[in-house]
Amino acid sequence: MIAQIRTMLKKELTDAARDKRSVMAGLYYAIGAPLMMCGMFMLLISQVTSPDALNINIEHSERAPDLVKFLASNDITSIDDSSRKDIVLSISEDYASNMAKGLPAELTLSADNSDEKLQSSIRRLEKSLQLYSAEMGSLRLIARGIDPKVVQPIKVNVEDQATADSKGGMILGVATFMMIYAVFISGMNLAIDTSAGERERNSLALLLSHPVTTRQIVWAKMAAVTVFAMLGLLLTLVISKIAYGFVPWQELGFSVNLTPEFIALMLIVSLPIALMAAALQLFVSFMAKSFKEAQSYLTIVLVVPMMLSLAASYNIAPDTMQWLPVSGQMQALIAFIKGKEIPMLQLLLSSASTLAIAFALTFGMEKSLKSEKIVFGL
Amino acid sequence: MFDGTLDPTRQTTSLQPKYRLALKTILPAVLALSSYSFPIAAMANTEVPQPEAQHACYVTGLSEQVRCGSILVPENHQQPEGKQIAIHYTVLPAIKSNFGAEAFLAIAGGPGQSAIDNAAYFDKVFSKVRQYRDILLIDQRGTGRSNPLNCEGEGFEAGLALNDESIDIAATTQHCLDEQTADITQYGSESALKDFEAVRQHLGYSKLHLYGISYGSRMAQLYMRHYPQVLETVTLDGVVPMQQSVVAIGDAIERATQILLDECQTTPLCQQSFPTLAADFAKVDSRLAEAAITTTTRHPLTGEASELLLTRSKFMGAIRMAMYGANIRALLPYAINQAAQDNFQPILGLYALNMDGIGLAMGMHSSVVCGEDWPRLDDAMRQQLQSNYFGEQMLIGFDESCPIWNMPAVSEDFSDAIASDIPTLLLSGENDPATPPSWAELAMEKMTNATHLIAPYATHGVAHQSCANNLIADLVNSRDVAQLDSECLSRDVSRNFYLNASTVETTTAANDAQGASND
Repeated sequence: MIAQIRTMLKKELTDAARDKRSVMAGLYYAIGAPLMMCGMFMLLISQVTSPDALNINIEHSERAPDLVKFLASNDITSIDDSSRKDIVLSISEDYASNMAKGLPAELTLSADNSDEKLQSSIRRLEKSLQLYSAEMGSLRLIARGIDPKVVQPIKVNVEDQATADSKGGMILGVATFMMIYAVFISGMNLAIDTSAGERERNSLALLLSHPVTTRQIVWAKMAAVTVFAMLGLLLTLVISKIAYGFVPWQELGFSVNLTPEFIALMLIVSLPIALMAAALQLFVSFMAKSFKEAQSYLTIVLVVPMMLSLAASYNIAPDTMQWLPVSGQMQALIAFIKGKEIPMLQLLLSSASTLAIAFALTFGMEKSLKSEKIVFGL
Repeated sequence: MFDGTLDPTRQTTSLQPKYRLALKTILPAVLALSSYSFPIAAMANTEVPQPEAQHACYVTGLSEQVRCGSILVPENHQQPEGKQIAIHYTVLPAIKSNFGAEAFLAIAGGPGQSAIDNAAYFDKVFSKVRQYRDILLIDQRGTGRSNPLNCEGEGFEAGLALNDESIDIAATTQHCLDEQTADITQYGSESALKDFEAVRQHLGYSKLHLYGISYGSRMAQLYMRHYPQVLETVTLDGVVPMQQSVVAIGDAIERATQILLDECQTTPLCQQSFPTLAADFAKVDSRLAEAAITTTTRHPLTGEASELLLTRSKFMGAIRMAMYGANIRALLPYAINQAAQDNFQPILGLYALNMDGIGLAMGMHSSVVCGEDWPRLDDAMRQQLQSNYFGEQMLIGFDESCPIWNMPAVSEDFSDAIASDIPTLLLSGENDPATPPSWAELAMEKMTNATHLIAPYATHGVAHQSCANNLIADLVNSRDVAQLDSECLSRDVSRNFYLNASTVETTTAANDAQGASND
């Protein structure tokens, strides 16, 4: 029995390798997705971080020369060219006279706070102004013989529990989602080709007429699709590992690093998911009447694991999600990334439920392949 | 969110670190001038120390988790089996570790300052270096957590009324010596250097980039002399050349004071407000040289009525310390002007900043200065020191305390110039009241791959007062001192002088306000 499955798996894989479309479909995603993610992150980082030299519009800078010098020493200048950000700092007319009297001297900061590209620059400007104000405040107290410490009644020492790994967790959460998805995408075309495609080429009936059981046929097809899915995942991981090294994460103050341990865990955890994905895709394809129809159905069906995965990465309803397939494994992976303990029970249960679904679908396929309706797509 | 009003909590938290650094990275004060009233926490521990494996920890001023640990080294390196002391270190891990085998070792000043206590400062200044490399901070033996040689003395609640000129230096030095359980002769720079190297090996860094500030630049130079093979680049900031005794700091203080007075004269706003500044300064100084002034005032912290005994030493000390920070320095013309008019509040405010100490481990400070700087003073140098107030005071102080401290002198060749071809960046601040630019020139005498940059507006410690921290990051990445683009150093980052107790900005309005407040 095993020997027969092996022979058929070989046949399926040879078939698949000959079908360039299946191979390429898997490759496109495995290579393209990590690169696109990196490109997206690079763009995002360059947009959300404030440039080294921040150029804003300072109106009436002649009213506050010392402030302007201070800002310039923090690389915030007012130069009228194309790099100028849409932030206006306006110095009031009575700035100097109020300051000389020890009164608050007024500035107006005008900018669109909902513009993500400006936010870090606005915060940086605010921080610099606050620093300047605080410094002057302290020196005014000193000039009056008062220790500036008296206006700091409370000093809060913050201890951030985040680790270097967990700071990049949010990013890796999204990346993990993208990797799990690779399992579904990489085998999909092969699944359609080997089921609905085989039927359209009229070779399915021929296969069934051989002295093999439907169970063996289904298992062989499952194995072929799973192998493709896992290869796709492996490729995604390798490309990600290399490509992520080029993203300037340090600008965000943390690093994103795919460790060998993470890659190994990812591969182990994804195996049941790959089996389920294969079973699901084959089942749906067999049910469909044609190749085209199978493609349309699968696209819709794939939304389900995607939703589960997304729900896990954004922590939606974590209590229910942890027992479900895909989301349970996602949560375990994210816990690992953040350096927390892997929730073993949860991982085992969600893997078990994943495998249960896979077997149920396989069993269903076995039954359905005995029906003429399915075999001939009637 | 910045809304124009002051949020007092944010206010001082953001200012305070600046102050602390400016005051801490200093060269020695005469022992009796500032030392023996520091209530620094733990006394030398008599228990047998245990090495701490590297673990996650929090350090002052940083909210994130960093790595801390310690190793054991013999107190006396000649007796490896003898008493062991723990040397503590902290690693600020690289954000993106591309150069795992390289670290950036930042060495604190003093002598007697803790590097780990200043972790937040080093993190801020060297954030660009830290993007790719670990920043390594080591509490030098005798400081911070590494078997500190602190001296506990009289409480400082009497600081305002205390006559600091009548302190018995010999007695306080003896008292401090009696407190020590450590072998104080083992706390010089060269013993400490062996500890640094032991920490490097323990942590497995094959190469180091060095940064030494103030006295830390002497440690960096010793590193260049004894372990050049492990160094990639060196930055000396506020340079103390090996050939120079730090006791000569008096000349630097006088030079910086003169620059300050001249600068006010050539700045129209300052000149108009304080046209007789130099005369004012001389007037107060000579008045205090005759006799200290006693007045009643409010205590800067408690607000209670207190007696202030303003001695010459307090006045000059306050001005000296204020010159360390470019921002505090801006208050000096006003403070001097007011003192000449018998308003001592600004001077009191400046003095109060350092009243509770400047965070130096004074025992270690003495071991270094009495072993490495005091013995090399010859007659000519002593003559020169007499020529100004601080030189004179330093000489009196160390002549009394060093014979009691009885630290063996380092060998003659200790003060040889460093000959090296390691890429070395030397930084000086034009307004530095501790290490003038000429000292850096002296230090690079025999360095073949060195560049000296002078920041025109900086005081002591150029890295945090200019773009020099970015230049250092460039140097660490390129290892090439010749290609550094130092143009940004010349950008005007000076601060306007205070024209009254409130403003730095303008004349007319300021005059009105001044008139009002003088009524």
